[in-house]
Amino acid sequence: MNSALSVTSIRLFPPKSVSFLFVPSNPLQDGLRLEPTPGPTTLVIFGATGDLTRRKLLPALYNLSRGQRLPARFSVIGVAREDMPDDGIRKIFSGSLREFAGVQQEDEVARSLTERMHYVGGDFHDRALYERLKARLDEIDNGSGALFYLAIPPSIYATVIEQLGAAGLSSQASERQWRRVIVEKPFGTDLATARELNQLVHRHFAEDQVYRIDHYLGKETVQNLMVFRFANGMFEPIWNRRYIDHVQITAAETVGVERRANYYEGAGALRDMVQNHLMQLLALVAMEPPITFSAESVRDRKMDALLAVQPLVDDSGGCEVVRAQYAKGWVAGAEVPGYREEPGVNSKSTTETYVALRMRLDSWRWAGVPFYLRTGKRLPKRTTEIAIQMRRPPLEIFKRVSPTSVAPNLLIVNVQPDEGLSIRFEAKIPGTRMQLAPVMMNFRYGSAFGGTVPEAYETLLLDAMLGDATLFARHDFVEGSWGLITPVHEKWKGENVRSLPTYEAGEWGPSEAEALMARDGRRWRTL
Amino acid sequence: MTELLLASGVDVAFTEIESALLRPSAEAGKGAGMALTATIVAAGPADRLRDAEQAVAGLKDVGVRAVLISHGDNPAPVPRVSNHIVALNGLRAEYLNNAVAALRLSSLPTLVWWRGGNAPNLEGLARLADRLVLDAEDPEEVWGRVEELAQYTSVTDLRWTRLTRWRALMAHFFDIPEVRAATDDFRTLRIEGSDVHTLRLFAGWILSIIKRRDRLTFDLVEREGTAPIETVVLGGRQELVLRMAPSRTCVETSAQVRNLSSTSRIVSLGGQDLCALLGEELRIRARDVAFERAVAASRSVR
Repeated sequence: MNSALSVTSIRLFPPKSVSFLFVPSNPLQDGLRLEPTPGPTTLVIFGATGDLTRRKLLPALYNLSRGQRLPARFSVIGVAREDMPDDGIRKIFSGSLREFAGVQQEDEVARSLTERMHYVGGDFHDRALYERLKARLDEIDNGSGALFYLAIPPSIYATVIEQLGAAGLSSQASERQWRRVIVEKPFGTDLATARELNQLVHRHFAEDQVYRIDHYLGKETVQNLMVFRFANGMFEPIWNRRYIDHVQITAAETVGVERRANYYEGAGALRDMVQNHLMQLLALVAMEPPITFSAESVRDRKMDALLAVQPLVDDSGGCEVVRAQYAKGWVAGAEVPGYREEPGVNSKSTTETYVALRMRLDSWRWAGVPFYLRTGKRLPKRTTEIAIQMRRPPLEIFKRVSPTSVAPNLLIVNVQPDEGLSIRFEAKIPGTRMQLAPVMMNFRYGSAFGGTVPEAYETLLLDAMLGDATLFARHDFVEGSWGLITPVHEKWKGENVRSLPTYEAGEWGPSEAEALMARDGRRWRTL
Repeated sequence: MTELLLASGVDVAFTEIESALLRPSAEAGKGAGMALTATIVAAGPADRLRDAEQAVAGLKDVGVRAVLISHGDNPAPVPRVSNHIVALNGLRAEYLNNAVAALRLSSLPTLVWWRGGNAPNLEGLARLADRLVLDAEDPEEVWGRVEELAQYTSVTDLRWTRLTRWRALMAHFFDIPEVRAATDDFRTLRIEGSDVHTLRLFAGWILSIIKRRDRLTFDLVEREGTAPIETVVLGGRQELVLRMAPSRTCVETSAQVRNLSSTSRIVSLGGQDLCALLGEELRIRARDVAFERAVAASRSVR
């Protein structure tokens, strides 16, 4: 029985002449353990019925809501071509939670969030859609910030950005009524289109309103790489050409082209993975220490690293980039077709599904240290890692007593699926003989601190709402990256080959990739 | 689970305990390569350590070593050692600091979870701890020493940890400009729940922040059989309400404030069991000044 046992009324201290109970900056936030939450926000998702929204964005919103990371005044407006009532997006949300967030029974948090979901349908090219959206924004919350998420095909980015600008939806009436836009990759298809898109975006949005998303940057390990390097005194002194032999960055997928043939045929591995994800990882490894952990400082240093990368096609037309296509084979015990046999793929396609490249950075820190990058589909294992191989000791004093050769030290940053860091070093095998063996010391995010590691999209969505662009790509980085990649595409186009080297699905790439490393007396890590 | 009873002697053989903890076992194999992150020392009366053991057992995959010490009169109790837990039952008070100093993981943070007992021991423990988490059944005496203990380490209370989400929700209200503008209209704060200390701590938190303490009237209502905190109503001419939802895992919030279309939502309370609360504490390293102020202010709430 909920009977009141005691009731205490108190009145404290004599009155003073102060007009507010609280000072204006919301002191209730002081000392709160939860991380900061954004101010009132309306999230507008273009492509609300699409795959990205269902798989990633809606589950991320649910998790943010569970973690109390969303503001008290928060709404979602879904925008798509379909004509449907608000209830339509709410059903999509429920389905998304069941399918991709493991929420079988809709709970109170989901129901509460559902009530804040709205929908505006129409043709993205039609100005009337944006007028309706504007009216809806005013109706739902005319005092909040608005974050426009472009979860749509890249071919209509320009249209939507143009229309947002024309409808006055990019204008920020006050600090509180901020307007920001998140653009998914790919940002352009080459240097020219990326520049064109940047110019168009900048006609309507200032750079600090633009958030070019690369979900790799939202992963804990990628962020931790900066902590690892710049919050520890012991690694940075050896993070240079004197101690590091080379760096290998691998992004391996077991899946094939799946339902993305339409997009992938025009993209290929170099555009799809290297221009964005792998370049970002390279920059994080190669960057100099930023002065502060602020968006501009971090992004300035990453840009410096990118500027140090030497052209991938040299003056004589030489190019240290290997490309290949997967042929039929076996992956995870199942027989899979070759790329050219995949549904939606041209049977004479020369789109690369694998690429391996050697990069040189002409900088004081990295001169003479090659960076090897590889990525591919239908490889034996799904893994993304950065492996930093140290130089061997100058003298092999155990050569005579230990028959096994000394393996060089390795520092491995596991980006996915098992986020963490590992260090390989030599140890003596217990026994009377002096025998050496490599051992691995592991740090795993999933277990070290307990709790749940947030999904990359949770981190990035929240950062965009908070106005923190540290983990997003800046316009100059995107263009710099395309500036390196585009000459390779132009060279390939000029070669006009009829077929590419192949590798059997389930293998670690073509022999040409092995040869690329072998020429330098090195080999790819066996993963 | 590997469990070992070590022979009792005049001195507790901490080196033997150490080697027992490091001895490989089938279950330990899983965590053998795990990064270690902290030591948790739970100290208190024996009856308060049973659920503490369950809570720290839930942290076995988090890279934590747990030391459970119940108060007693034994200078050398027989240590019970399992994979990541060392239990010393009935240890005499003057040996407490020595045991903690010997059993904590070197060079990593030590969190002391004080579940009650002889408070004079606390200063020594505070000096050894990187974080002192108070959790006494009756916290009056120990709350009176927070200012002193905070000179040695960061101090908090598990009741404060339970309030994290409630405080955040109240703070979120005041992120809304219309609510902020209506601040002067709030005249009463009614807090209901089963634990009067928790209610006082919440009231103390508000008191420590507001500039016009005379403008708010506090009603603390203790109700049996409810959660430590159940309802918070900031009322007057406008109203903000935080109320435990029927599921008991969420809080319903609502605001009735002028110029603001009715705002209501339901948010998760997060884990409220001991294991989850400890997990939250393990993530915090900084001094908890807000708690220190709240506990000081709570003393004026009687």
